[in-house]
Amino acid sequence: MKKTFLAALAALFAMPALAQPIPVGHLMDNSGATSDVGLPYGQGVQDTLSWVNSTRRGVAGRPINVLGFDYGYAAPRAVSQYQAWSRDRVVAIQGWGTADTEALIRFVTRDRIPYISGSYSGALTDPTGRARPGVEAAPFNFFYGPSYSDALRGMLQWAKTDWDRSGRTGRPKYVHMGANHPYPNSPKEAGETMARELGFGVLPAIQFALTPGDYTAQCLTLRNQGANYAYLGNTAGSNLSVLRSCQTAGVQVQFMGNVWGMDENAMKAAGTAANGVVFPVRTGAVWGQPVPGMETAQAISRTTDANAYRTVHYLAGMCAAMLMVEAMETAAANGGAISGERIRDGFYARRDWVPAGFAGLCNPSTFTAEDHRGTMRVALYRAVVTGNTSQGTVGELMANGTMKLEPVTVVELERRRDWQGW
Amino acid sequence: MRPAGDYRTTYAADMTVFPTRNSRLAMLAGIALACAAPLAFGRYELGLMINIGFLGIAALGLNILVGFTGQISIGHAAFFGFGAFLSAWLHETLHVPVILCIPLAGLGTAVVGLVFGLPAARLKGLYLAIATLAAQFILEDFFARARWFTGGVAGRMTESVTVAGFSFDREETYFYIVLAFVVVMFFAASNLMRTRDGRALVAVRDHYLSAEVMGINLAYYRTLSFAISSFYAGIGGALYAHYLLFVSVEAFNILFSIQFLGMVIIGGLGSVMGSLMGAAFMVLLPEVVQALADQLAGGSIDRAIKLGANISFLREMAVGAAIILFLVFEPNGLAHRWRLIKAYWKLYPYSH
Amino acid sequence: MDFTLFFPLLLNGLIVGALYGVVAMSFVLIYKASQVVNFAQGEFLLVGAWVCWWLLTTWPIPFWAGFLVTMAFMTLFGIILQVVVLRPLIGEPVISVIMATVGLSIFFQALMKWIFGVFAKPFPPIFEAERIDVMGLQVQPVYLLSLAVSLFIMFGFWWFFTFSKHGLAMRATAFDQQVAQSLGVSVPKVFAMSWAISAVVSSVAGVVVGVVNGVSSALSFYGIKVFPAVILGGLDSIVGAVLGGLIVGVLENLAQWVDSEFLHWGNMTQIAPFYALVLILLIKPYGLLGTKNIERV
Repeated sequence: MKKTFLAALAALFAMPALAQPIPVGHLMDNSGATSDVGLPYGQGVQDTLSWVNSTRRGVAGRPINVLGFDYGYAAPRAVSQYQAWSRDRVVAIQGWGTADTEALIRFVTRDRIPYISGSYSGALTDPTGRARPGVEAAPFNFFYGPSYSDALRGMLQWAKTDWDRSGRTGRPKYVHMGANHPYPNSPKEAGETMARELGFGVLPAIQFALTPGDYTAQCLTLRNQGANYAYLGNTAGSNLSVLRSCQTAGVQVQFMGNVWGMDENAMKAAGTAANGVVFPVRTGAVWGQPVPGMETAQAISRTTDANAYRTVHYLAGMCAAMLMVEAMETAAANGGAISGERIRDGFYARRDWVPAGFAGLCNPSTFTAEDHRGTMRVALYRAVVTGNTSQGTVGELMANGTMKLEPVTVVELERRRDWQGW
Repeated sequence: MRPAGDYRTTYAADMTVFPTRNSRLAMLAGIALACAAPLAFGRYELGLMINIGFLGIAALGLNILVGFTGQISIGHAAFFGFGAFLSAWLHETLHVPVILCIPLAGLGTAVVGLVFGLPAARLKGLYLAIATLAAQFILEDFFARARWFTGGVAGRMTESVTVAGFSFDREETYFYIVLAFVVVMFFAASNLMRTRDGRALVAVRDHYLSAEVMGINLAYYRTLSFAISSFYAGIGGALYAHYLLFVSVEAFNILFSIQFLGMVIIGGLGSVMGSLMGAAFMVLLPEVVQALADQLAGGSIDRAIKLGANISFLREMAVGAAIILFLVFEPNGLAHRWRLIKAYWKLYPYSH
Repeated sequence: MDFTLFFPLLLNGLIVGALYGVVAMSFVLIYKASQVVNFAQGEFLLVGAWVCWWLLTTWPIPFWAGFLVTMAFMTLFGIILQVVVLRPLIGEPVISVIMATVGLSIFFQALMKWIFGVFAKPFPPIFEAERIDVMGLQVQPVYLLSLAVSLFIMFGFWWFFTFSKHGLAMRATAFDQQVAQSLGVSVPKVFAMSWAISAVVSSVAGVVVGVVNGVSSALSFYGIKVFPAVILGGLDSIVGAVLGGLIVGVLENLAQWVDSEFLHWGNMTQIAPFYALVLILLIKPYGLLGTKNIERV
């Protein structure tokens, strides 16, 4: 404690002009309805930024001062915290949920603060406001990975080939499931439209809350409707309740999760009920796979826990944080000021952008002033659970093969103009 | 606290709002001091004071219902939310100036309160409490469905108050709007208790059968107190909406309703100023817990219990524990303690 | 109209409703004995389920042993709560006592999240069979066990209040505290006992739900679900509580059926019981089976 204090003091005297910290807001959900996935993602962002501070001396010699806030997934609390941050003159914000990110679009556009969200809502992808009537321009919103809508479009394309390959006859039926909340609702229209285009029968959506519970009634409805492909729009915690209830009720449906809808923790909690769920993974590899970027990831992970298994969300949090850090470095290059506008331009500076040291882990992203869809590539994985998951940690279960993440396919979607913004 | 030997000789003197000249002076001085607050405080402190202001107004409404009329409501946040949505909706669809939207939202919420208060004419005690719990869930569900009114689950943006081209969009300026409403609403509540209606409410609380025998229309006054309480909640909600500039159904949940009850109980049931004290306590408590956690950050206690990631649980636990501790050790609330302190200094050093 | 969905949902409603009935019963027990409306009933389920989960995953003990230890713990838990928090509040207005239980509820919900985290955690498998077929509906065996336990508890309550000395003392206390006291009933002991029994019975429901769906903070929502149930039945009627629980369970599932067949509004499952509650209260202000207070001046 004393040593670090002295070191900090020494550093302060050594470079008085440079050491002024860069304030960055970090909105997390550690206690609310989506904390099951918000916790690992937030941890990933936090560890990465503190790793950048300790090993790379921050951005351009200035440490990043991360102002964290747990808003419990309540949009109004996020808005009031944003107003406090705008007083503290933060230059960028690492955000989280769809409801709060969409509510803040107008504020961050006014204040010119880049906002890197954990929400991948299609409504955040249009910086000009011209792509689709009724969707406002979001020139300062960014996220890492395919949008919810694009991920669902990719999954539906896979579902179509899966159906054709299985040799079953007739029209496959698709149903959207999720809470009545901006986040599960976000890709609903896009998914149903796409499903109709592909020749699916579209069933009335089924609602279930964002909290775990007994969803037998929903599963019986699902079975009765005769759905073949069901999209799970919620986060892992409540999705796994549906999976368990449906397994008990003997419902045979191909479930498709969203990016937050399934992960290693949920596979352990759901056990064999999670077997067969298909969902998009945003990174090029999952924890422990031998890609060049994994070493960096392990170094980051060690800053808080030497031998933890990190879920897909933790890795995605790292990539999101690194995009922001490199955009800041671009802004600071040649002695430039690290301001909101220059950071935004930093996002436009590269094509097929993979943060240095994260090759094979973070997928390439491309942002332009016309289009904030960072990637159109949807990598689908299947959760495979073969045995009892109640004993042992997630890391052990993954290591001994009781749980596996199996690559299914990679769908390269066309960058269609009429798919932007929703 | 009146000095001994001060016998009132007229009804007017007995019914005055300020019992002594000094209390009136103290009141005026207090308002003058509050007016000077933006000069002395930063935006963070002013933000807290604004929060205390609009929550205090809503808590006062609940106190009129619970503390003065003896009816329990577990759905106050829903009425607060209705006021917020109504004010935002009035401004956006009918283009009413925001400064008029706020009182109109109060009136509109009063009407809704009247409707939900109708069962109060028939229900008593716990059955009423649980009927208001149902009102909370039903209104919440309505907010999530009624896209035309609330913007659905995505919420609705609002504008700040603008009068004659001057925009009250900063803490320093919006503070005066809230202060004005606080003064008016609290003065009105103090006055209410001097009227026939106000005393009828208290009579209903103290013994409703006797009140009925004395010719007080129970059904009328029970519903009336719901309407008044909702009026206050609506004003508070509207002030909240135009401060935060964003209204969403998520804010108005059962936990928020319970916090209002907590404010009323911690402040003191049946005390006008107690409502403000209770609101101040509930706003400041989480800030104090946060500050304490920040003090401990990085230390060994922090590492042992992972304070950083669990701070919101700690805040919630502090709220729960504060409510229980107040009920056990200070059942009459902060207002009562304040009176005891005043009495102590008045009689000092001969306090016995 | 499609009835293939109707009957499974009805059956599911009855099974879930039986659990609501058990929780409602333990809620009414506290109310009858000590006139306290317990807003922390859901936290009894939560604490019980987490304790049992912790025992079973930390120590290599069989399910029944963990279950018994949990019940012993909950007995103590109920008594301590009553003695430490509720006893000093005897004689305070109803609203204060309600708020105290609300405070308890907030406190324990946060504490459990802090200790056990926010992930839903699964119980180790307890039964060999994955599921059992009941008249066309696949259910987990533990649900059938819960049905048996519920019936057993309901029978136990009936016996307790009709024949046992303590049960009679409890009824006497509920009827008139002063008279009971003068007849030699220890009122504080009766209060403590009612809290202990209530905590134990609720935790049984908590463990059952935990085994079925995994343990998570969502368990405490049963504490809210219990209000429509007890109000439907009448606050002070044990039979009414069971009936109310069954009605709420069936109502939820029927709302789901109506919604999926005709309305497509969504969220009807959650909200339907509250509409029913308001309607019933408008017609019968003391619930279906509650005693009407006759007031004299």
